[in-house]
Amino acid sequence: MRYTVSIADRTVQVEVKGNTVLLDGRPIRATLVAIPRTPLRQLVVNGQARTFAMTRGTDGWKVQCAGRWWPVAVLDERTRQVRELTGQRAKHAAGGLIKAPMPGLVLRVEVEVGQRVEQGAGLVVLEAMKMENEIKTPGPGVVQAIHVAAGQAVEKGMPLVAVGEQEG
Amino acid sequence: MRRVLVANRGEIALRIIRACHEEGLEAVAVYSEADRVCPHVKAADAAVELGPAPARDSYLNVERLLEAAAQTGAEAVHPGYGFLAEQAHFANAVEQAGLVFIGPPPSAIQMMGEKTEARRRMRAAGVPIVPGTTEPVADGEAALRAAEEIGYPVLLKAAAGGGGKGMRVAHSAKEVHKGFTHAASEARSAFGDDSIYLERFVQRPRHVEIQVLADRFGHTIHLGERECSVQRRHQKLIEESPSAAVDLDLRLRMGEAAVRAAQSVGYLSAGTVEFLLDPQGKFYFLEMNTRLQVEHPVTELVYGVDLVREQLRIAAGEPMTCPGRPMRPRGHAIECRITSEDPFADFLPATGRIEYLHPPSGPGVRWDGGVETGSEVSLYYDSLVGKLIAWGETRERSIRRMRRALDELVIAGIPTSQPFHRRVMEEAEFVSGEYDVGYLDRVGDALLSPEIDASELEQVAIAAALAEDEARAAAVPIAGGTDGGPAESAWLQMARLRALRGGR
Repeated sequence: MRYTVSIADRTVQVEVKGNTVLLDGRPIRATLVAIPRTPLRQLVVNGQARTFAMTRGTDGWKVQCAGRWWPVAVLDERTRQVRELTGQRAKHAAGGLIKAPMPGLVLRVEVEVGQRVEQGAGLVVLEAMKMENEIKTPGPGVVQAIHVAAGQAVEKGMPLVAVGEQEG
Repeated sequence: MRRVLVANRGEIALRIIRACHEEGLEAVAVYSEADRVCPHVKAADAAVELGPAPARDSYLNVERLLEAAAQTGAEAVHPGYGFLAEQAHFANAVEQAGLVFIGPPPSAIQMMGEKTEARRRMRAAGVPIVPGTTEPVADGEAALRAAEEIGYPVLLKAAAGGGGKGMRVAHSAKEVHKGFTHAASEARSAFGDDSIYLERFVQRPRHVEIQVLADRFGHTIHLGERECSVQRRHQKLIEESPSAAVDLDLRLRMGEAAVRAAQSVGYLSAGTVEFLLDPQGKFYFLEMNTRLQVEHPVTELVYGVDLVREQLRIAAGEPMTCPGRPMRPRGHAIECRITSEDPFADFLPATGRIEYLHPPSGPGVRWDGGVETGSEVSLYYDSLVGKLIAWGETRERSIRRMRRALDELVIAGIPTSQPFHRRVMEEAEFVSGEYDVGYLDRVGDALLSPEIDASELEQVAIAAALAEDEARAAAVPIAGGTDGGPAESAWLQMARLRALRGGR
């Protein structure tokens, strides 16, 4: 089977043929052995062994490499073509809806609707694990809406503040 | 003293329970509703549920803790660090209940806990302090006046504080106002006290602290220094002993100052005197932590002392086992704090279940952990999941050992600070030993580059493709299920696929 594998913004083609894989067309001898009752798998590439922790998620795998977890999208040829046709490629949401990156408690809202903010300006202060975390705007714009208030508990992914382009 | 109640959770509760057992003492664990299946509960000889998950309803509930002690027949209480460890009212309540508080006298906690009073006392005891206010400031305006007088940059600090909470640097009048609001609000929520004082912000300092130990037989000694300059927003991430910036002469001078500081408040048990060390080798008293520190293991490894054991002995009225003369550190030790934070996302705290944990082992490696496979990491408590400590004959050997240990450590299920530590152990400035508290601000961005290495990219891609291929081969094809027809046996499917591939 042929797979399109994407890690961060890099994409490679991997074709699996028994004990050989074609990596962007280049043949490499590789085997992967799961270690029972652990998320660990031992990869042997050209005789060199390396252990990864791997868990399966939607659309692919999470692979731990050098202590860091990488989300890895693994799509077969058919799914990839369907995705391409239906234009489901990750489109970044237009306008900046800043969401809670973690569950926590809103301590303060530092902006008002209509306020002009520069990139990196603090929007909301969230308290989690006894630390205050200032949630900043990733880009400049005008505050369009505020979805939370001080004292409110938020779940991860809940919208906090919408920052958009200046009108007119 | 036969039974000790450990009024804490996580790795430190387990650390103290282990020391109790080694001393032939029984240990009583306490836990919140969120912590019913935590390792410290299993390790103890008895365990008492305190109440709901939020700390104020459980680990900060003095009444419930004293009830638990009475109910289990504990004669002594060890507070660990954090929670009630530096609350004089708790130490008092423990003693009022006729129990032994394993730590300093409440009066010493009180005197060191109020940071402005501590500064006044230290000045009187001849311990050098950073220029600043010796009283809390009333409001933002007063803070501004004090800042103008001290000279920028200034540090706004919670008078009741510690651990970097309720602390802000201000470089200008504008920042003083904002910093005061932030620091006061953080101090109120963390310590229930929003008094703030100001100090001159010493440029390019190192954070070097001295471990002290005092018993009831008139011995107050120091066990050298710990270097804690790898910090993020005043939270320590990596600690080591000895410090590359401290020679024998400086160690003796700082040690003597720390001993004077401890003696001036009638200190008992283990404590830590924190100093700022400037590039010219001048040091200033920062604060005294009147408890066991998170980073105590590095001192234990280079001085061959079990600090918790000493605390237990001192509390029982026995003399400490350490000799009265100054001791020499042997070798070098480094600690990495493994926290449930994503270093590639600005150290955002993460929650979730530990799906798998493999702690490192082997020569010179110590893992002080508070979680195991299956543990939930919640938002209720702090983000420390474990401490990895490596000892080596030299600093260079301990760094190599730490790299090896970090390569062995596997924590699946939540992001952790592990990859950050692995990168620091290769970073030139850290490896040279010439760093200060500004270290992370300087190297952080380059160190935490989100790029993936080319050879790693290939390996990860191959592993993911092989795992996906195997998972698909083992699964029942979706078509079989969605058509409503009988699904083909997965065994049959697998056998056919294997035969087709010519595999076994």
